[in-house]
Amino acid sequence: MTESSRPECVALLAGISAYLDGELPATECALIEAHCQVCAQCAVLVEGLRETVGLCRGVADLPLPDPVRARARASVRKLLDEVMGT
Amino acid sequence: MRAEYAELVRQAARGERSAMERLLVRVQEAAYRFSLLVCGHPEDAEDVMQDALLKTYQHVGSIADPNAFRTWLYTTVRNACLMKRRRHVGEPRHFESIEGEGEAGGGRERAIDLPDTAPRPDDRMMDGWIDRRLRRAIQALPPTYRLVLVMREIDGLSTREVATVTGASEANVKQRLHRARVMLRRELESYD
Repeated sequence: MTESSRPECVALLAGISAYLDGELPATECALIEAHCQVCAQCAVLVEGLRETVGLCRGVADLPLPDPVRARARASVRKLLDEVMGT
Repeated sequence: MRAEYAELVRQAARGERSAMERLLVRVQEAAYRFSLLVCGHPEDAEDVMQDALLKTYQHVGSIADPNAFRTWLYTTVRNACLMKRRRHVGEPRHFESIEGEGEAGGGRERAIDLPDTAPRPDDRMMDGWIDRRLRRAIQALPPTYRLVLVMREIDGLSTREVATVTGASEANVKQRLHRARVMLRRELESYD
């Protein structure tokens, strides 16, 4: 993944994370999308970052390993049994 | 997510045991995930998890604003990770501070020192949870960027919450997140 050094690309890429986070107004989103139609380098970059963000966010949905979850539940029950009673 | 935490905190503060139990389990899982991904030591993550459990239990009855619970939690967990790191000073082959040299140091941060590559039982367990390439790529990020990336992308904190936990401005958090994404992408591509 290589970032273009062309001024129009640099200007566009400054807002790319806001674009991926849905924080840009529709007009600016349209500018980025139009640019990516004609600039393969930026299109690859945007897709690569989108995929990376998706990979990370996917981790949030993964339950922790069973042994870790079991230890967490056991610790909580032990503590609450001691302080609150059963 | 913030609203879910806030509601659990309200119920737990009223003494509802089931809410307290759900809150504490969730807190421990968040602490473990954060510690593992930001600090990189499964054995420390267990201690950080326990620390989060006790501190949350002690703190939950005195929380004035349940909506601010997550920033309190992540600040607490981050501090516990820092304490673990300090205890490791002097030990061989361990990690850098989770936040490098300072908030305004832009570029001064050093990448972490990756642990030995021989698989340990903890590593095998982690490989079954999170893709090994992604975990290694996250751990290869400079500490300040890794911290922001994990809290924002994986733990789902808002930009404002991350700014509160790190003491950085929201603009700075956004800038670091963008750089972290670009660095992470490059790191992942380097494994191809």
